[in-house]
Amino acid sequence: MKISLKNYTIRYLIIAFLVIMAVWASLFYAYILDEVYDNVDDGLKNQKIEILRGVYEEPELLETSEYGINQFRIRPAEGDEEFSEENRLSREFFYMPYDDEQEPYRVLRTGFYGRDHKPYHLEIRTSTVEEDDLIYDLTTALMVLYAVLVLSLYLINTFVLGRAWRPFKIILDNLNHYRFGTKDKLRPIDTNVLEFNQLHTELDRMWRRNEELFDEQKRFIENAAHELQTPLAITINKLDLLMEDETLNESQLTQIAESKSSLLRLVNLNKSLLMLSRIENKQYKNVERVSFNDISRELVNEFQDLLDFKHIELLLHEESTFEIEMDRYLATVLISNLLRNAIKYTPEGGQINVFHVQDRFSVTNTAIGPALDPDIVFNRFHKGEQDKGSTGLGLAIVKSIVDSYPILSVGYTYANEKHMFFIKK
Amino acid sequence: MVSCALKTEHSHFFPKSVSKIVALSISMKILIIEDEVELSAVIQDFLEQEKFLVETAFDYASGLDKISNYDYDCILLDIMLPGGSGMELLAQLRALGKSDSVIIISAKDAVEDKVQGLELGADDYLAKPFHLAELHARVKSIIRRKNQHGENIIHYKSVSLFPDERKVLVGNKELILNRKEYDLFYYFMIRPEKLVQKTTLAEAVWGDHADQADSLDFIYSQVKNLRKKLKDQKAGIDLQAVYGVGYKLV
Repeated sequence: MKISLKNYTIRYLIIAFLVIMAVWASLFYAYILDEVYDNVDDGLKNQKIEILRGVYEEPELLETSEYGINQFRIRPAEGDEEFSEENRLSREFFYMPYDDEQEPYRVLRTGFYGRDHKPYHLEIRTSTVEEDDLIYDLTTALMVLYAVLVLSLYLINTFVLGRAWRPFKIILDNLNHYRFGTKDKLRPIDTNVLEFNQLHTELDRMWRRNEELFDEQKRFIENAAHELQTPLAITINKLDLLMEDETLNESQLTQIAESKSSLLRLVNLNKSLLMLSRIENKQYKNVERVSFNDISRELVNEFQDLLDFKHIELLLHEESTFEIEMDRYLATVLISNLLRNAIKYTPEGGQINVFHVQDRFSVTNTAIGPALDPDIVFNRFHKGEQDKGSTGLGLAIVKSIVDSYPILSVGYTYANEKHMFFIKK
Repeated sequence: MVSCALKTEHSHFFPKSVSKIVALSISMKILIIEDEVELSAVIQDFLEQEKFLVETAFDYASGLDKISNYDYDCILLDIMLPGGSGMELLAQLRALGKSDSVIIISAKDAVEDKVQGLELGADDYLAKPFHLAELHARVKSIIRRKNQHGENIIHYKSVSLFPDERKVLVGNKELILNRKEYDLFYYFMIRPEKLVQKTTLAEAVWGDHADQADSLDFIYSQVKNLRKKLKDQKAGIDLQAVYGVGYKLV
């Protein structure tokens, strides 16, 4: 699962905080308790000294056999009873009327010899912390702290980091919208974060470098295609002249014709490449309102003899007019390429349908083979299997023309044994 | 040479039916302004075979020199010339008040060039590389358009072709041709007894050589139809296949 960077850190921070706080809480608890007992025990020991002093002065205190207001009791040690003058501290529960329950007490047990030199046991108690309450309180406090921490962490992440990462988002967005050769400018970022500024600068440089390279490459293709035209013209025309020679025999003439035919393919390839670079360089700028209906009607008229020859039935459907602002020449090339493509691949006796709907122009034709791969059908030099003489650029030109008008899109579908190419507004 | 103004006057005074008939290509003067010497030489060779008088210029200066001092029936003009652009030359020509027909031949078959050229008064635009037969057809049709009071009909044996009406007569009877048949027949009529290659015809009717197989079959069937029609009409001419490379009108 992919998660955003800020949530990525927060996930680990939450777990880390939990562990840290648990460890810290146990240590803190141990220290607090230690300190509390230490304090209480000191108090008890101090009390013991005062009691012993008091017992020396007022022996009747030796009669204090039950805990009273003074919170201590004294009883004489029996003969065989273990007796020690050491301080023994323990934690015990006594009933406390105030709370109506057993409450923890700290108890100091010791022994001493009274003025009568008899051994006595002394027990002093004092109310101490209720550990379970302490733990409970501490846990509650810590949980609140934890919640506050996590919440603030989240808020800081969302607002502060979100703000800090905004330039990164812009950079991502820039990359997302980047299309080769569009000559767009990178959206500037406004941040004082060093890394983002660096990233932006580097990207910008890379972008420019790529654009330059791309331009260079395009220019190269255009120039190469262009430079080839004249030598091709000379060669082809020389062959034309040579073919006028009446003394040539069949094999010579056929070979010359075949050479010329190959050269003509090269010429076409060249022209298509030139056209592609011109479209990409946006050299067709005579934008006007063109009606696809009019153009397809003209073109169908143009192709009618060929259609008759191939016994292809072509039906023009004009449910509505498909009109768009574009270069008329490009519109003609676009429709013409789609129609030629359909005529070329429709089997004898097949049918071609040309539809004009308000926002959609489509050409369907009877298919010979299976569906084409819509991902590659518009690729340059992609050719159908039964294709020999084609340049493989016809549909690439269609795509290129459509791509040069942002409001247009082109697609291919296959249904009921019919190929369909469509242009959508 | 006949200027534009004269042309209208003449066509006004001389209806087509009484127009004087002169052999079309005899002594028609053509100027090729093209910096590629080899290409220029090939075109010159070809046009001379077709009985045109051909002169050449290889750069802007000599081109300007020729067009200012002489008149031509047709000028083949390249756009990219040493020392200047063919477009400027065209503008100069019109500024001199000359109405020589101009066909732009350019390796730059960009539409804006074409549009600009035609706006400046070029009569046609041919993108390099082209078939010589195609060039020939364009030159002929331009000269024909220009000399409207002159030769309008192309004759071969008993067949006459009327380019303006797209009509063909065998003797006095009309030969009914469909559009493509007519287009093909035109190519044969302007160059009788010469080889017309199938590829040239295919490009003329289909416009994109890439789709060979289909269009060559199509040409074959159209030629077959043409031959049948010519035979049925007893035209006395036939389209002869030349080794599967093309056809010849005999």
